[in-house]
Parts: sequence; structure tokens; C-alpha cells
Amino acid sequence: MSIEKKIDVDLSSFNLDAIKRAAYRCSNRFAFDMVIAAQTASCTLIFDDDKSSDFVELAISVFRKELLDQDLRQSIRAETENVRNVILAHAFSLTGLLKDEPVQGD
Amino acid sequence: MSRFKAIEEYEAPRADAYRLLPFRFTALDDSSYVLTNIAGEHLVLSNESLRALVRHNLPRGSPEFVELRARHFLQDSVDSVAVDLLALKLRTRYRRLPEFTALHIFVVTLRCEHSCPYCQVSRQTEDVAAFDMTPETADKALDFVFRSPAAAIKIEFQGGEPLLNFGLIRYVVEQAEKRNASEKRDLRFVIATNLALATREILSFCAAHSIDISTSLDGPEDLHNKNRPRPGRNSHQKAVEGIQLAREIVGRERVSALMTTTSKSLDRVRDIIDEYLRLEFPGIFLRPLSPYGFAVKTNAIAAYTTARWLEFYKEGLEYILHLNQVGVRFREFYASVILKKMLTSDESGFVDLVSPAGIGIKALVYNYDGAVYASDESRMLAEMGDYTFRLGSLETDSYEDVMLSDRLLDPIEESMTTSVPMCNECAFEPFCGADPVFHHTAYGDVVGRKPESAFCARNMAIFRYLIAKMRDDSGARRLFLNWANQ
Repeated sequence: MSIEKKIDVDLSSFNLDAIKRAAYRCSNRFAFDMVIAAQTASCTLIFDDDKSSDFVELAISVFRKELLDQDLRQSIRAETENVRNVILAHAFSLTGLLKDEPVQGD
Repeated sequence: MSRFKAIEEYEAPRADAYRLLPFRFTALDDSSYVLTNIAGEHLVLSNESLRALVRHNLPRGSPEFVELRARHFLQDSVDSVAVDLLALKLRTRYRRLPEFTALHIFVVTLRCEHSCPYCQVSRQTEDVAAFDMTPETADKALDFVFRSPAAAIKIEFQGGEPLLNFGLIRYVVEQAEKRNASEKRDLRFVIATNLALATREILSFCAAHSIDISTSLDGPEDLHNKNRPRPGRNSHQKAVEGIQLAREIVGRERVSALMTTTSKSLDRVRDIIDEYLRLEFPGIFLRPLSPYGFAVKTNAIAAYTTARWLEFYKEGLEYILHLNQVGVRFREFYASVILKKMLTSDESGFVDLVSPAGIGIKALVYNYDGAVYASDESRMLAEMGDYTFRLGSLETDSYEDVMLSDRLLDPIEESMTTSVPMCNECAFEPFCGADPVFHHTAYGDVVGRKPESAFCARNMAIFRYLIAKMRDDSGARRLFLNWANQ
């Protein structure tokens, strides 16, 4: 037997990548399953049956906070993609390592 | 032309005042986050300020804004060089990567007169031929050493007890120096020895060739002798006498000591530190047991958890901070390694805390039997029957065979923290490392699942502790800056 807790996540607020990353970060606390229906990700958090209700509640709280963090991280990743590439290209511009290297998407 | 812009340029609030530069964040505690930029500089922000920053609501004149701009977490119209500076800092961070293998470990014998329960590799035997490296094997190892492009090369002699095969140490030192007459590398030597067999003749040779001595000291006499049994039960006495003799002949600055934490050490951290102080060492490396060899066979690993070791470590660090507050200069070396990464653009070269992993490309091990291993831990793993990180043999394989082998390149590539789940978004990534050998040993694959990784738990706890300490205690911050810059 195990303890299962359901959480619905609105996909107009959080995308799937953020949900998966948050679940991975909590993988020492619970196993995870997810079903997508329309704009909702129905998440099942699966706990060992020896876990206390306090442990379960704390884990759900951590998962929800992690979702918010992952959402912020995505905003940062998206906004900084170009400058990230500029910095990396600039950083390695004198090494000769990237000369004649094909670029992704070419 | 004015030397500076009008005051409005610096003060005027703007709705679209800034753009984000790349950074990562991780919770420090319930109310704050650690942020690190692409060059590894860090700062601490409240939860509210982090969300305001990412949503572009952070007031332009706020102290947080000024600090974030100064450390290149954001860029506004005033700051036109942030990207160039970040690129320069990033290049500085990776400048040591092309230096390649600097540490070359020669396992000159597995024989040892000690029988430490946590030892990974040693053998009690009089059979010299079975477990000693020969000059022929050493010559082939030296061929590998000088194939490395590293400008600075350190040859470390290990065992067993390496002084049991001192003739070979002498041979390797003389041959390496001979080759280096034309190679012109910065060539250094170190012997990792319990010093029980050190004589004036041996130490005079060390002095003549500027050989460093790294010995084992687990704490006060009773604890040390319990941890490190030998005939006569006098390991501590031998170590202390050896330290004093080595200091007299080789030089005080050339003699250092390492301790290992066993379950018997856990309640004795102050005693251990006091013993290092009594023997006038400038610091201590508080290190946990490694999950290899006899430490696993004798259940020494299971004797304590990561959480218990962290209690031990933090109690030790608090005691060291107190000592410094009352005027006793003393350092903790693992914290110093991390603080150098946190507070400077340099790093110590500590091979367990780097990404790409240090296996092979920072350190190579030449075993007594000619086997080449990716790290010291790799050969200890082999003693448990797991040859995953045995890269080849000096007898049959070329340098190219070994260094370009999938056995070496696959784990390095797979474990790079920039692409490992959770590490790739972790604010502590610039301070941390990959350690594929540990993860392979403990979890069966070179990456491991980080939420369950003892390596991750241990290091994240130390990173959080050090950063919180610097935030909350200006005296500790000044001290840590000093450690970072030594």
C-alpha cells in the first residue's frame, strides 16, 4: 500500500517542464505520476505508506514552492538566452576551439 | 566632454530599467535565496526581492538593485560593459582547464605495517615482489607523467606505506628530475606516509629534493591509536616523533597532516582540533570516510550518516571560528577550498570538487602492478573488485589509449554539472563538483539522483552554512575572506 495525493496544476500558469523539474527535485520524498487533460496536469504524489501526515503535507508544500521557483527559472532562462550565448561565445573567442564548429540549427 | 554623465542618468527611475543577465538561484533558508551569476559570483536576496527582480519590479534605486548591477546579475542603460566583464570572468573561471593532468600518484607498494580498519588498500605481508612497484613500471609511468602538458606537475607517492619501498621513491625522484632538466616543468613531490618508518637518511633525501610530507593524524593519542592499529600500539607516538623529525630535517612548512573521521571521532572534534593546535599545525582538513574498500567491508561507513558527519563538521567549524575570535589563527581546509571558489576567481585545484570531473584530466594513478586508474578512489574501488575506472595498463596501453578511452571520457562527459539534472539549475554549481566515482560507488551510475545523493547533501549543507555565516556574522566574513585568499 502507498499514500497517494492528487494535485491539479493549471497549464496556463505552469508548463510541463516546470512540473517535471519540480517533481524531480522532490524525488527523494515521493514518486510521481501525471496525466494531462485539456489545460490541467493531474499530478499524483505517491508516498511510502509509513510516511506521517506531517511528512506528506510538508512534501506537498515543498512541491508547490518548487513549482513557483521553476516558473521563475524559466523566465530567467528565456530572457537571458541570447546574452548567455553572447557571453559564452565572447569568453571562448580567443581559444580557437569554436572555429569552423557548426552551430545548432544551421 | 564631461568625465561623467548627468545625475539624472544615474537616478532617474525607468519602467523598463533593466534586463536580466544569466543567473541561478537556490533557497538558502525559508526567507532568502542564494543567487550565482554565470561567473560564479554570489549574493543573497530575500524571497520578495528575487520575485521582484525576475518580474522587473525591483526599484532602480534600491540597495538590492545596486548590488545586483555591480555583480552583473542585471544590466541597465548605465552599464554597457556587463556582458564583456562577465565573459572575461567566465574565461578566468575556466582558465585552468587546458592545463590538464597535474597530479600523478605512484602507488609504490600496497604493503603496510598498520592495520587501520578504514583503510582501503593496504596489505600486511612480507612478500615484496607481490605488491611493490618495479623500476621498469615506474619508468613507464614517468613516460605518462611527462606526456601531460601541465606546466606544474606533482608526483605523489602513496601506498600501503610508501616508505616500505623507499628505494623506488628515490629512483622515481632522481629519474623525474633528470627528465625535467629538459622538460622544465614546475616539478614537485609529496610522500603520503604514516612516518612510522621515517629515518634521518630518508628525511635528508626529502630535504635535498624538496619533497613534501603528508602524514595521518586522527586526533589525540587514544583516538588515533584506536583508529590506526599497528604492532606496539604506538601509531600516535610514531606519528608525533616523525612529524617533529620531519619538521627538523625537511622544514616545518613541508609537513602537513590529514585526519579521517570514524564513528569514534564524532564526539571528539574539539579534542582533534586541540591536538592539531598542540602540534602547531596551521589548520585541519575535517574529512569524512570514503565509501571504498575496507571502510565498507568493516561497516565503518554505515557507522554514521551524512547528517551526523555534518553535525561534527559544523561543531568543528564553530570551534575554529571561536579560536580565531580569541586570537588563535587556525583554518579548516575544506571550507578554505570552497571559499576560494566563492570569493575569488581562483580555485585550489582540489580534484573532488570540480566539473568537468578531475578523473584522469586532473589526476592519474599508476598502481604498483602497472594498472592506470582515473583517481585514487578508482583504485580503491578496484580493490573491492570493481574495475570500472581502470583505464588501462602501462604494460600494454599507450597514453592515447588511456586518455582517449571511453572508460575515461564517458563518465567525464555524463557527469558534467552543467548538464546534470538539478545541478544545471543549482546556485551552488560553481562551487561544487561532479565526482562520478563516488556516485558510481554509492548509487551504481556516475550521475546518481541528486535528491538522494550524500555528496550533494553534504556539500549543499556546507555551502549554505558558509554563505549564511558570512551574511550573519561580519567577523566570520572577514575571516573567510582571509582563508579564501591564502
